[in-house]
This record gives sequence, structure tokens and C-alpha cells, in this order.
Amino acid sequence: MSSMSQAVRGGGREWNATNVVGVALLGLIGLWILWNFIDSPTQVIQVAILGLCNGALYALIALGYTLVYGIIELINFAHGDLFMLGSVFSAMIISDWFGQETSNPTGWAVFALTFVAAMAFCAAINVSVDQLAYRRLRNAPKLAPLITAVGVSFIFQNVGIIWNGSAPKSQNAVLPGGSLEIGDVRVPWTYLFTVIITIPLLLLLTWIVQKTRQGKAMRATAQDPDAARLMGINTNRTIAFTFALGGAMAGAAAIMYLQNNGTTRYDAGFQLGLIAFTAAVLGGVGNLTGAVLGGLLIGLIQGLNDGAPHGLGQEWSQSVVFSILIALMVFRPSGILGSPTSEKV
Amino acid sequence: MSDLILDASQIRVEFGGLVAVNDVDFQIPTGSIVALIGPNGAGKTTFFNVLTGLYRSTAGTVMFDGQPIAGRAPHQIAAMGMARTFQNIRLFGTMTATENVMVAMHAHLKGGLWQTIFGSPGQRREEQAARDTAHELIDFCGVNGDPDEFAKNLSYGDQRRLEVARALALRPKLLLLDEPTAGMNPQESDDFIAFVRRVRDAKQLTVLLIEHDMKVVMGVSERITVLEYGSKIAEGTGEEVRANERVIEAYLGKAATHGAT
Amino acid sequence: MAVVTTPGTGTGARRLRRVAVPALFLIGGLSVPTVVTNVGAFEDRWFPLTTMVLCGIFVMFTLGLNIVVGYAGLLDLGYVAFFLFGAYTAGWLMSSFFFQIDPGIHIFDAAINPDSPGINLSFWIVVPIAAVVAAIAGVIIGAPTLRLKSDYLALVTLGFGEILPQAFRNGESIKGFNLSNGTKGIGPTNPLDMGWLSWTGVGKDAINVFDYKTRYYVIFALCVIFILISLRLRDGKLGRAWLAIREDELAASLMGVPLMRTKLWAYGVGAAAGGIGGAFYCVSLGGVQVDTFNFQFSVIVLCMVILGGMANVYGCILGAVILTWVNYTGMKEIGNSVNNTFGTEISVPKYQFLIFGIVLVLMMLFRRDGMLPAARQKHSREIDAQIEKIGTEGVA
Repeated sequence: MSSMSQAVRGGGREWNATNVVGVALLGLIGLWILWNFIDSPTQVIQVAILGLCNGALYALIALGYTLVYGIIELINFAHGDLFMLGSVFSAMIISDWFGQETSNPTGWAVFALTFVAAMAFCAAINVSVDQLAYRRLRNAPKLAPLITAVGVSFIFQNVGIIWNGSAPKSQNAVLPGGSLEIGDVRVPWTYLFTVIITIPLLLLLTWIVQKTRQGKAMRATAQDPDAARLMGINTNRTIAFTFALGGAMAGAAAIMYLQNNGTTRYDAGFQLGLIAFTAAVLGGVGNLTGAVLGGLLIGLIQGLNDGAPHGLGQEWSQSVVFSILIALMVFRPSGILGSPTSEKV
Repeated sequence: MSDLILDASQIRVEFGGLVAVNDVDFQIPTGSIVALIGPNGAGKTTFFNVLTGLYRSTAGTVMFDGQPIAGRAPHQIAAMGMARTFQNIRLFGTMTATENVMVAMHAHLKGGLWQTIFGSPGQRREEQAARDTAHELIDFCGVNGDPDEFAKNLSYGDQRRLEVARALALRPKLLLLDEPTAGMNPQESDDFIAFVRRVRDAKQLTVLLIEHDMKVVMGVSERITVLEYGSKIAEGTGEEVRANERVIEAYLGKAATHGAT
Repeated sequence: MAVVTTPGTGTGARRLRRVAVPALFLIGGLSVPTVVTNVGAFEDRWFPLTTMVLCGIFVMFTLGLNIVVGYAGLLDLGYVAFFLFGAYTAGWLMSSFFFQIDPGIHIFDAAINPDSPGINLSFWIVVPIAAVVAAIAGVIIGAPTLRLKSDYLALVTLGFGEILPQAFRNGESIKGFNLSNGTKGIGPTNPLDMGWLSWTGVGKDAINVFDYKTRYYVIFALCVIFILISLRLRDGKLGRAWLAIREDELAASLMGVPLMRTKLWAYGVGAAAGGIGGAFYCVSLGGVQVDTFNFQFSVIVLCMVILGGMANVYGCILGAVILTWVNYTGMKEIGNSVNNTFGTEISVPKYQFLIFGIVLVLMMLFRRDGMLPAARQKHSREIDAQIEKIGTEGVA
């Protein structure tokens, strides 16, 4: 076998028409933000900050997609629903087991405990699903694990219905209520906590992937699973570890979502999952920094669409996010930070 | 109409910073059998991929049968009369041998959606004729297995021959063979030399092959072009190439390492 | 038990099967209403005609999706979009919804009041229109997205499947024009008619347009037509090109198969079936509601294709009938029986998602080619399994 394995159709980044359109679209979004800002600066700053805080949540979920896609090229369709299960689980511990309804020192302690428990819970479920289902499909055609993931997503949703009921349930936050006020801009404390907690998590994740042995094994497996196996890396354990990391991020996102929104609903995962996936693609699927960037950007755009003077309003929120997804897939499937993919001849 | 079926000039392909094909000029006289040789990684398959439209060359032009191929999609170039086989066999595994060959007739078959749905007599006749042609081609190429067997179940040799049959179904003017004798024993290779000549004469086409087996190359080709590191280092008849110092250096000088790969 | 024979190989047994299977299907399908309405309370409870009509509708959808997913190997998670277009087309063209048009347009329709405003076409005129509208929608959705890798394509189709219902939900006042009537939906639509027969009055007594029996026969006939189209296409030039693309896209293009056009045909034909099914659904239920169109629908139809057997027409029919029955009657009745027998109060339909999810996962893990695999898959799967086994043993 000779060493021919280059990108089909031009290896490098070409500035062709579709790329130009992609950049033009980004430019248009920028102009739209500017237009809103000139019209009513305070309102835009207000919704932008709220949007960015939501974006931090999307980023945490998007990391789960990007980690798994990076290593086994699977769009883990059930990831959003895993997040939903995490939020129901957190609500169960905080409200049902410990009966915490208000913000007080006991409530904070319970929150800290639940935070760790939710991460562990989601990580454990994610790893179990991988070992029970996806693992058997490593050599199967690509559609098989994807369809399996759709099935798992349905199963999770039904578990959510049984666990949480088919109607949304309101839950009390145990983190301090109220808002931070700077001039006319008001930011709820829970939103700020989301950002404060997200940052160290991201740093920790980056450190794990970049510096630890396990992280190196992950990167090697992502590059070439066969070669990694020959080099003595236990690829199966590495993939399981990746699922655990992604699950833990979803767990963290779940409990923060619970504190922000104060509801649990069985279909929350489907919506948020798709938004987060869009974020992952926007950043360049498989790229950790990209996922965070994408999450923040989507949060920002969504916040502005829902709340800014020239937005389409909340009833079009989903459509706006999906239109971004479709436009991206068509014009720049590799995302902002991703690199083009190739097929071997 | 020129007497060159293919005229490629100053072909350059870069991947990022890597130059895979370096300003190569390459002409193929109509009706000849020519070979493209060179050590592993010399850019031979890349060159094939440029000709068939899979890669866009960074610079240079390719004229095929008097027309430029620039900007044409692979299926359009195929329909112009350029067919190829693959280094690692790429048959449609779960389709029968006959169906594999019939897929390549796609560009020539007229039956559209409505004729197919209503099963017009013309469409039925056309399908039957296509099936017969496919069987003839399978016989012509010496596929021993059952034409109604799935391609993936055929023997290795049959799969290689079926790839040629499938390529011939395109009614090509130029047939590109990418390492056609890989994995064949000496007897089969000898048969193959005769077969390539037979194909050229019977189908009146031109053949370009990439080959590692020097016996096959010398035995079958009228002209040989040698690539090394993406550049053309020699060109001529078998005798001329064999006597060329750079070729000897490229091959013999690296014989030890070459053997190890 | 290979139902699909490889074309061109006509041994006696295979020929017999080629005739016997469709014949059995036709006789069985046609006798359903007679059996169901005449035998007794058991059939009426377990196999109500309303569910049988729904089975027919879902067979249509499943066959359409099978062309896209089974034949061409393109995963479409937004099939609901075509259902939506078909249903709204019928809603627009078979009701007084566009009351601005007064006096209304009436062509062969069976509207009760011939003076009613709006566009009132015969169902038989609406069917081809719905098919074309859906096919055009399919091509528009497909054109920019079909060059994507399979898993990306799945997400983009899903995106369209989410955007369109939202657009129709919010489409109550587009610059003052009411396109979709928002969450209230369009209705009532005109009843199913027999076209020219109803109009001239010839069939009025012979064919009672209001009963489910007629509806069943109509959807059955539509399904038979589409089954024939599916089979014909599979064995023709286009079907071969679809299979080739599914097997090896790159090799197919180098053999002269135009990828985009061939994939778009798959999308168009598959979408047309969705449009026809949607139009019939709307007319059969007497209206269209935007909440019907959700992601769950797309996944349920996908389940039917996978359960029955990708690329096998008869498998798809079986999958659609079984799952539709489970969904609309089976789960409810099984639940009732269990509750009556044991005095429990379990709500079985609550487990709908669970059942569909488990079907998908188990099928993918243990029987990837469905209950009735297409002959070619079944054959090759055995070899694959052997290779896989040798491979894993080699590594371990």
C-alpha cells in the first residue's frame, strides 16, 4: 500500500464561494448586534449578559458532544436527554431527599454535595450506555450507532416522563436569589454562579486532556484507534473515560440549569441538546475551545433574538438556532475552529 | 481531433505546504499503453485523482480528448470516457457482479424515472440489452465466478477482473489501471499483460497504468513515465528508462528501504 | 426466507415467490375491512378499522422513507417536514380556509355546500399536487445539504423538521396574511370524495364517502401504487445508482453516477410519498393540527423502516403495520387487559417512547437488517459477522 491519503478536493482551506458566504453571514450577525446596540444599549447589554450566561450552560453540554464526536465520530443524540436526567436527579436530591427550599447555609452544602453527585450520576449513565450499546457497534456502519443513540434518547425521555411526570415541575433554587445591579443592568446571582462554576471546570477539563496520561491516550485514540491500540493504549477504557468526562459536564450543566430556571421537564434535553449540538458544530466539532466559543456565541445570539429590540422574539428562538445550524453545515461544516475533513482513496 | 488522448501540462498539487505533484507534463498518444511508475509516495495516485476529477490541481491544465477537464465533476469526466480501477478494490460489495457493471452504464442509459415506473417497452429493452452487455463484459474480462454472485463474495482475482469489466462498461476512451496486478502471482501477471493488449485492441482504447511489478511494466507498456517525489524524472521507452541513471538511483539506490515497506 | 429476489435469476421457486408474495399481500390487504367489520367484538376491539386506516397511512410514510434511508442510505431525521407539506396542501386546497376567494373554486369536489368559499378541489386532484409540493420541498431541503456527510445530513434534516412546524405554528399572520392558522390548525376539510364519480352522482350510493371502509380502500390503493413504484425503481437504473451510492459514494461517482442528482431523486420520490400520506391523513381526520408534526413522528417512521428491514419493501410494510397497531391500539388494549385481569391501573401508552427506543436499540444491536432483511443484506451480513468475529479474536 502506498501512502496516498490526502483530502479529496484540495487539501487546504480554499477561499471559495461557500466560504465567503459563511463569513458574510457571520458579518451580518455582527451588524445586527450592532444595530440593536445603537438603538438601546442598556437592553442589549442586559440580554447579552443573560445570553452569555446561558451560553456557558450550552458550552458545558456542547463539550459532551464534542468530546465523544472527537473520539468515535458519533453524534451522541442522547446527550441532551442525559442532561435532562441529571436535572431531575438533582431536583430529587435537593428537594425530595434533603427538603431544601430556600437559600441558606445548609442549602448551599446540599448544593455542593448534589453538584458532585449529579456529575457522577451522569458520568456513570453515559459510560454504561457506551459499554452496553455503542461499544458493540464500534465496527458497524456509521448509521448504526447514530440510530442507537436516537433510541437511547427516546428511552431517556420516557424515564424522564416516569420520573418527573409529563408536565413541567417547578423547583426551588437553593442558591442566593436576587440580582447584581450595575446601573440599569441586572444579572441574577444564579446566572453569575453558572459562569463562576463553568470556568474552573473548563480549565480542569483542558488540563486533563492536555496534560494527563489519560488525556494523551484520548488524543491518540481520536487520531487513529488502531495505531493507539498497537501502542498499548486500552482504547475501550479511553473511550469510556471520554464518555465519563462528557457525562460529568452534562451533570454540572444540569444542576446549574435547575438553579437558573427552577423547573424540571422531561423534554428539556431535546431542545437544549440540539442547541448545544449546534454550538459544538459552530465551534468546530471535536474542538474543545471551539465548543465553548460556540456555546457562548449561540447563547448570545439567542439572548439577543429573544430580548433585543430587533429580534424575532422567543417564538422563533428554535428556528433561529436551527437556521444557524443549517447555514453552518452548508457553508462551513468544519466550524469556526475546526479543520476540513478528508476521505481516503 | 489530436492524436493525444490526454495532454496534461504543468500539473501541480499541493496539500498545505506539501507538494505532491510538482509541475508535471504528461502526454498520452491515442491508442497506446503507457505506464506511470515510481517509488511509494511519488505522487502517482494523486496524479490519477487529478485526472479523474477527485482532486483539483493547484495549477496546470488537463486536456482530455481535446477538451479541458477543469471544473468538471468526477461523474462528468467519467461520462467523457475516462474510467479507472482502484488500488484497493472498490466494488459495490452487496451488489451482484452484473449489477456492478450495470452501474457504470448509468451515463449511457436513457430510461428516466417515468419510463422506469411505467415500465415502458423501450426501457425494458434497454435494461435487457444492458444486462446482456454486462454479461459479455464479464466474460470478456475472464471473471470466473457467477455473474449473479455478490461482488464481495467473488475471489480476489475475480474482483480485480470485475473492476476492469465495470470500468469498460463506461465505454472509456482512456482506461486508468491503478496497480492492477497487486496481489497476483507471476502466472496471473503474465496473463494480465496479454489481457491488457487484448482490451486495447478489442475496445480501441488507450491504457494508462500505475504498476510496481517491473516485469509487467516492461512487458506491456510502450512508453513509461517515472515520478519521484512528485516530479517527473524520466520518460521514454522501456529501454530508455531502464538505462536512465536517475531511475536506477531512485529504484536500486533505495532497493533496501523499498523492500522494507 | 428471502422475499426479494435478485433480478435476473429466475429459478422456479423464486418465480413462484415473486408471484405468491404480492398475491397474498393483495388478498390479505383487501379482505381486512370485511374481516374486521364482520367477525365480531374481538376484532372490533383489537383491530378497529380506524387503526387499520392509520396503518395504511404509515405504510405510505415508511415506504417513502425507505427510498431515502433504505435504498440511498441517507439518514433523514426530518421526514415530518414532508408529512407537514402534504397535510397543509390538502388543508389549503380542500376547505373554506381561504375564505377570501368567494365564490369558491370547486373542481369535482364533494363539498356539502357548493356555494362555500375557498379552494375546494377533489381529493384526487390534491393527491398529485401534494406529492409535487412535498417533492419540491424535498429537493429544496436536499439541494444544499446532500453533499454533507451522513451524520451531518441527519442533523440538518432534523433542523428542517423543527423549523417548519415552528414556522407554521407562528404563521397565523405573515404581514397580516393567515397562512396556517397557527396552533388552531386548518379545518374542517371537505370529506374524501370519489372525484368525478361523486360529482356526477354515479357513485354516491355505491360508495359511501364517510365510512372508514372506503377510506381504507383508498389508502390501500395508494399504497399499492407506491409499492409498485418502489419495486420498479429498485430494479431500474435509478435503484442501482442509489445502491451504488449507499455502498461507495466515491466509486459510484467515478463510474459516472451523478451524486447530487441521484440523491435528489431519492429525496424527491421519498418526499412525494410523505406528501401523499400527509394529504390523506388530513382528509381522513378532517383537518390538520400543527402539534401533529414533531420529531417523534420522524423517529417513529424510522423505527418502522428499521424494524421491518431497510431496503425491503415488504419488510417496511410489516414494520409499519406492527408499530402503528402497537402505537394506536395494541398498547392501550394490552394495558386494559392487564388492568382488568390484575386490577392494576398501569397506563401502558405512557411507555410509548420507551418501547420505540428499545426497538431501535435492540434492532441495531442484534438484528440490524430488520425482521425481513433485503436479500442482499442478509447474505452479506453472515459473512460480515464471520469477518468481525475473526477480527476481534485476532486483536484480542
